[in-house]
Amino acid sequence: MDIVVLVKMVPDTESRLEIVDGKVNESGFKYMVNPYDEFAVEQAVQFKEASGGKVTLLTLFSNDTSIDTDLRKMMAIGADEAIVLRQDGYRGDRPSANAKVISGAISEMNADLVIGGVQGIDYYQGATGPMIAQMLGIPHISGVTNLEMNGDKFTAKRQIEGGLQVIDCPGPVLITCQKDMTKVRFPALKDIMMSKRKPFENREVSLNEENDIQTNECSLPPARGGGVIIDGESAEEKVDKLIEKLKTEAKVL
Amino acid sequence: MDPFHNYTSYDIPWWVILGIWSFIAIGLHVYQVGFIVKLIRLGKDDDRFNSWKQRMKEFLTDWLGQRKVVEDKLAGYAHALIFWGFLMLVSDVIDLGTGGRFAKLLEIKLLGNIELVDIWNIIVEIGYTLAGIGILFALYRRLIVRPEKLKGASMEGVLILFAILGIVLTSFIVEAGYMIGENHMNNWEPIGVLFAKQMEGIDSSTLGTIIDASYWIHMILIGGFLIEIPQTKHSHLIGTIPNVMFQDHDAMGTMNPMQTDENDIAVKTDDLDFDNLTLGVNKFEDFTWRQLSDGWACTACARCQDVCPAYNSGKTLNPMQIIMDVKNYGSEHGSQLLAGEEPDETIVDRFTPDAIWACTTCYACVDACPVHIEHVPKLTDTRRHLVMEASEFPEELQNLFNNLERNSNPWGMGAHTRADWAEGLDLKIGEPAEYLFYVGCAGSFDDRNKKVSRATAMLLKEAGVDFSILGEMEMCNGDPARRAGNEFLFQMMAEMNVDNMNSLGTLKVITACPHCFHTIGKEYEKYGGKYEVYHHSQVLNDLRQKGKLEINKFEDKVTFHDPCYLGRIGGETEAPREALGGDLIEMERHGQKSFCCGGGGARIWMEEDADKRVNEIRAKEASETGADCVAVGCPFCMTMMSDGLKEIGDVKPVKDISEIMLENLNTEEV
Repeated sequence: MDIVVLVKMVPDTESRLEIVDGKVNESGFKYMVNPYDEFAVEQAVQFKEASGGKVTLLTLFSNDTSIDTDLRKMMAIGADEAIVLRQDGYRGDRPSANAKVISGAISEMNADLVIGGVQGIDYYQGATGPMIAQMLGIPHISGVTNLEMNGDKFTAKRQIEGGLQVIDCPGPVLITCQKDMTKVRFPALKDIMMSKRKPFENREVSLNEENDIQTNECSLPPARGGGVIIDGESAEEKVDKLIEKLKTEAKVL
Repeated sequence: MDPFHNYTSYDIPWWVILGIWSFIAIGLHVYQVGFIVKLIRLGKDDDRFNSWKQRMKEFLTDWLGQRKVVEDKLAGYAHALIFWGFLMLVSDVIDLGTGGRFAKLLEIKLLGNIELVDIWNIIVEIGYTLAGIGILFALYRRLIVRPEKLKGASMEGVLILFAILGIVLTSFIVEAGYMIGENHMNNWEPIGVLFAKQMEGIDSSTLGTIIDASYWIHMILIGGFLIEIPQTKHSHLIGTIPNVMFQDHDAMGTMNPMQTDENDIAVKTDDLDFDNLTLGVNKFEDFTWRQLSDGWACTACARCQDVCPAYNSGKTLNPMQIIMDVKNYGSEHGSQLLAGEEPDETIVDRFTPDAIWACTTCYACVDACPVHIEHVPKLTDTRRHLVMEASEFPEELQNLFNNLERNSNPWGMGAHTRADWAEGLDLKIGEPAEYLFYVGCAGSFDDRNKKVSRATAMLLKEAGVDFSILGEMEMCNGDPARRAGNEFLFQMMAEMNVDNMNSLGTLKVITACPHCFHTIGKEYEKYGGKYEVYHHSQVLNDLRQKGKLEINKFEDKVTFHDPCYLGRIGGETEAPREALGGDLIEMERHGQKSFCCGGGGARIWMEEDADKRVNEIRAKEASETGADCVAVGCPFCMTMMSDGLKEIGDVKPVKDISEIMLENLNTEEV
């Protein structure tokens, strides 16, 4: 079973967010592996451990930032190789253009399973995965919470409003993983070191911006107002003051 | 009356029987000791065969002088008397075993009528007497005082005490028998004379039987004791000799790098030879020989158990049990280990992960041990195995490691916000200065501890100290990762920090965190960074004493909680007190003997059962002093003590030394 895992690099959640000219200023960002994709890596490695095959990490990313350490860590979990599509001017908010580049790479790879996270925690669009499936002409199941493999058939479970949906599907198929699909292991140090010997390919790809959505404007959420602590000698006095405030300031009474 | 000329009823000469018994006893003793030596030699190298002059001095004070043994008054002096007594009397065994021929050799005239044998006699006599008194004290402690920690202890200790008492008493009876037989009271053996006077008047055949019996009881007990020594805690009679002689000469609390070169410098993470590297300890032979010898040096005195915060808060860990485990594991699996086979049970199985993760690395156990047993490294070494080899560790630690890797602080806050605490203070950031103020993670990211950083910086500015901070360049010193077993992550952080600090030309460092104080000051040298590191209390105290900071005497009643890594491990208990300067009310356990807040050893990031909290024990002790305020000198103590006091319903504030100083700063004159 050959598995391709879609790994997106997203800004570290603790990065400083600034809006410049209506766009997120990504300079100075530190990047990390999208947490949803970590579940996909772990699940793929578990399938490989159960029935053999190869796990390939596939990433589309910009040209100027090193992500070796992060991807090596994913390889330490058990992935066999990594291919990074390097693109000048890459942005994480263009699902259609990005899906086109990624699906182009996958179509040369003969994958039995393509698996990734349900969405990137940068723009939360959740669109790239299904688009790749469409472009490859294979079925997709999104937001999967549990995935089993029987021969070349997959059984996926999805949480839906008030219930559980169980879907059977033959491979090749594209799966996107919901949170907690499986528990991601912490690789032992020896595995981290061994991962340095695994193949790691950087491949230049060109940018194709036509036929995609355009982000017109971004803004930060309004700053939260500070709370008010009501002072008073006794509980009664505080309650009186609160009622007064609710009447005059909040105008809810 | 001379037992040596009596024959047994089978007409076998006494020396034949004694010869056979000696052969059995000495043979079994040597065989068993040899087995233990072979086991200990399975351990890895640890070159402690240096600084012989210092080692001899330590051996004389700690072993012969019983320096730390007597810290526990009753048990300690009882032990010292038995120990010194036995050293003085031990040659008598040779004399008794050779039928008095040893004493004959000593009949050499010294001064006037005094012969060498007389001097020897009085020494042996004093030896037996001291041992006898010591045993009576020890029996009094075990049978009448019965301290809490002895409840549930086996009867072995009492039996052995009675056996040794038997050895002492029978020797006096045999001495007395000699004197009666030769009709000469030897005044060089005064206790023997006392016994002889009591025995006069007994008819000679009964007396003969009593003396014969005493002689043989004496010899049987001594032989039995020889056989017993290697099997029980009495192995400490031998085990403490290498233990005390080869005690650790590194500063307390320092840990060993994964690999070192010939100059004892850590091999860089990029150059580590992973094919020939054992990460931590899981097998018996992963320990060093010196770690193994601890097992046979332990006397089960339980002083480590008494001071252990994990044990005293009801956790699985008992430091004494860890040491017993090493010995018992070796004894039980000994033949397998020596045959090069691997027992099914591992060291981690024996210690149990629960115990391994309960340690706060406060080093109270190591400090309390009279024979230099090193408990903590055994636990941190097994943690290394669990994290780096087995990947089995408390889930909370995975967050800790990820946070340290990504944002270089335990909470995972954005690294770019590290210097936000200093807003408006107009500090030098990343510029060369006389001192580097290494703020640390808690002081940079934790709201409560940010106030401490501000107070410290304001005091330093007030006194005109030239200092800068690293700002966003600063990283965690790596201690939380290291004490939690992730040595690799620690080393990567240490290497980056050393690069940053060296590029700034840093030589002198001030920090308000004792863990930074310890790690940067005492551990970084092996990673290429040699700095003079001061705890902020040391610098602030110096400024106060020199009159650069005028602090008014405060009126609050304050108690100071010594942080482990400043006091016991860092060796600094005076500066914080003098920096505070007021009337302190001391907790019973303070200074070197302070009790951990529960936050060390990365414990602050791990779950702790509500009914087993170390900080509540310490908060109660602080509360009972009746002080208005608890002063601390460590950001983790700040958190743990604040939480602990809240938990027990005490509202008194917890403040850092610098905050109390700033509150009492005399601003009018300066």
